[in-house]
Amino acid sequence: MSTKANGSVGGAAPAAWLAIAGLILVVAIPFLAVVLQSIFPNLGQGSFSSPFSSLVSTLNDSALIGMAGNTVLLGCCVVAASALVAVPLGVFRALYRIPLAPLWDVLLLVPFMIPPYIATLGWIMTLQPRGYLQQLVGFNLAPFLFSLFGMTLVMAFNTFPVVYFAVSRTVEAVGARYADVGRVFGASPARAFWRITLPLSAPGLAASLMLVFAAAIEEYGTPAALGRRAGFQVLVTGIDLRITDWPIDLPGAAILSILLVSMSLVTFLLQRWILARRSYQTVGGKPTAKDKRPLGKMKVPVLIAFAVVSFLATGVPLLAILATAMSRTISGGLAFDNISFNNFMLVFSNSAGAVGALVNSFSLGIGTALITGLIGVMAAYTVVKTKMRGRIAIDTLTIIPNALPGIVVAVGLILAWNMPWLPATPYNTALILLLAYCCILLPQPVRYTTAAFQQIGDNLEAAARVFGASSLTAFRRILLPLVFPSLASAMLLVFALASRELVASVVVAPVGMQTIATFIWRQFEQGSIGLGMAMAFIAILITTLLPLILLMLLRRSGLVAE
Amino acid sequence: MLKSLKSITFGVFAAALMAGAAHADVTVYTAGPQSLIDKLSAGFTKQTGIKVSVFQATTGKVMARIEAEAANPVVDVLVSASWDTATDFAKRGWLVKYSSPNAAKVPDFLKTDSAVAQGISALGIAWNTKSGTPKPTEWADLTKKEYKDLVNIPDPAQSGSSFELTAALAGQDNFKLFNDLKANGAIIAGANADALNPVLQGAKAAVFGAVDYITLASKAKGESIDVIFPASGTVIAPRPAMILNWSKNQDDAKKFIDYMLSDEGQKMVADEMLMPARTDIPANRPLISDLKLLKYDTATVYGKRKETLAEITKIYGGK
Repeated sequence: MSTKANGSVGGAAPAAWLAIAGLILVVAIPFLAVVLQSIFPNLGQGSFSSPFSSLVSTLNDSALIGMAGNTVLLGCCVVAASALVAVPLGVFRALYRIPLAPLWDVLLLVPFMIPPYIATLGWIMTLQPRGYLQQLVGFNLAPFLFSLFGMTLVMAFNTFPVVYFAVSRTVEAVGARYADVGRVFGASPARAFWRITLPLSAPGLAASLMLVFAAAIEEYGTPAALGRRAGFQVLVTGIDLRITDWPIDLPGAAILSILLVSMSLVTFLLQRWILARRSYQTVGGKPTAKDKRPLGKMKVPVLIAFAVVSFLATGVPLLAILATAMSRTISGGLAFDNISFNNFMLVFSNSAGAVGALVNSFSLGIGTALITGLIGVMAAYTVVKTKMRGRIAIDTLTIIPNALPGIVVAVGLILAWNMPWLPATPYNTALILLLAYCCILLPQPVRYTTAAFQQIGDNLEAAARVFGASSLTAFRRILLPLVFPSLASAMLLVFALASRELVASVVVAPVGMQTIATFIWRQFEQGSIGLGMAMAFIAILITTLLPLILLMLLRRSGLVAE
Repeated sequence: MLKSLKSITFGVFAAALMAGAAHADVTVYTAGPQSLIDKLSAGFTKQTGIKVSVFQATTGKVMARIEAEAANPVVDVLVSASWDTATDFAKRGWLVKYSSPNAAKVPDFLKTDSAVAQGISALGIAWNTKSGTPKPTEWADLTKKEYKDLVNIPDPAQSGSSFELTAALAGQDNFKLFNDLKANGAIIAGANADALNPVLQGAKAAVFGAVDYITLASKAKGESIDVIFPASGTVIAPRPAMILNWSKNQDDAKKFIDYMLSDEGQKMVADEMLMPARTDIPANRPLISDLKLLKYDTATVYGKRKETLAEITKIYGGK
């Protein structure tokens, strides 16, 4: 516990211990339960009999190689598509004065708030034969949608904002200053960008691309809805089949999940290896001019690019959701006499517990954002700014949930917390949902704040210490404000993702408790698509507006710079 | 800053704990419609004063939860959407033997000494009346060229009743019907709701083997959709209710089963467009006596489950 032991500038010990305790509770316990389940098939009955018996049969499944290959293929396609869309937009946003920039930021933020399964359903209802597109303009694009291409596009439009915001933020932090130095020494603008600005932005870019990859291989809704028809099975759909197909095969699901986790770990190590080869410190305490350049001749094409991407990523799914929510009947289609606000009235009149579901999800979202933010910033600080032994273990723990499918986290939590000998347990209370969300979403604040810490020079903290600040003061007054923009956006993202999480919620929700996602899912199951979509629309609206208002307040109070 | 964060965190924890502390007397896990279980539990609480906690999901997710909870189970009453669950759980010795006095009017084939049907759904052809296709009357009609590329089949791996229909029909002609459907462009389209949605919008004309009560409820809401029960026969899916032997509230659980089978409870079942289990309760829909049922041996069919699903996967081409 002594500050000397970790050998760093400041007293990192309290931060490290807090991070470790949080990580053990939130990540290690459910993950350990999953690992034990894969080894001991009868763990659910509290028995450690016949170890390793299901390993052979699961790994011998001939479909496994195909599923694993498809998973990697889909992940790579989504990463490539996201980067293609997001990197140019993010760089322009960071370096140039874009007209209507705040509007584009909001429009590109919305895809975060649209649950992937809802967006997919929106795309299906738009592009399938006799869908909204055909009703409007007379043709459909169904063959494109139900394919690897369609799946990649739908998923990329859902995840590319992660890359867009990471790139625009890190490139902005690097600023034009370093590139200007390059220009002074005779580099062309393109050369200065490729050789200086882009490489210096690598931490943010690599971290966000890794999040996209992990999200893509872990995503269930889109491959289940689009992939099955294209005969495209991935590991997650395989896991879900094992868990929902009687007789239930929990050990098999656990083994496939560990395979998925190892895929994520490999990308994580790859990212570490790339980043470890040089320093990315660009925030050195010298004031930087945030002057952005005018777009000049590129103005029209850049604006068109922003408009097209915003329309595809936000406009199409939102309009499809709204059209469905406002239809009296689905078979009535887009017609004036088919417009009805009945579905919205039903939500507000608390039909089927709609209001309770909204309150539950938003409280859980706020709780998850606070807890993951706290653990995340402590873990990132320990990993980046201290030389503590075992910090790679902390880093690894923060990466595991990235690839754990929601349903596996849920099963792990039940296995861990429903042991009969536990004197008290969060199981069957709202706390178990909080634990599940924290586990699933912890990687977001960790990755964002890690990238931010990597750009802060060590001399800043050292300077504060030289002038007599305690380690806590240095952290609170120097480091925390510098990473706060990244931390705040990560926490807002966590809030949005937690308030719509579906797969774990369905399995682990305490009896009698509904969340937004389980409410929508139940309406779909019972054929009330319109009511589900009305709820989805309201939830998207609130999850978008709430963080925006919060950010505005923070800006006004000077905590976050524009 | 850190201090306030901590106190907020603590507050959230405390609030969440309080929310979870409300203890209920009977815990029901159900694969049935949410609105049905909501009405049943409200009515039951009103009549007996006993509170009900509900967990509702698909049969698969309910089973996953029971399996994961096996070391320390909390469920008292289980309502599954597949009769197979009752058979399997009875074999494992997990069920309490109970014959409700209200079950007298439930036909013998819908009850055992440890399970009784809550209601029954049947499978039929769900057909979009505005699809511009002729009204189908038989399963085999959907192999005609008018329905080329317009038929959805619910995934038999994801739904117990779909599986029984698939197995029963495939047993009659050794998968010829399913080969013909495939040749006519039919596809397997996810679970029941996923298969029905495209038919509502008109992307497809018909669902081969749709769950009737969801479709009938959509029709009641004004959707241009109808259910046809082929004269050659179909399958029904009784939804068994059972009491688990680890339940610490078995007397209350029995009262819940009694209420579910009472006049009031069965009327709620009928209002959901399900067939009531009791034959003396009227319903605004075709009843078992109006349907012709396919003849097959459940034990044999489930014994060959893996092979049947593998054959279907082969025909419909999973990669």
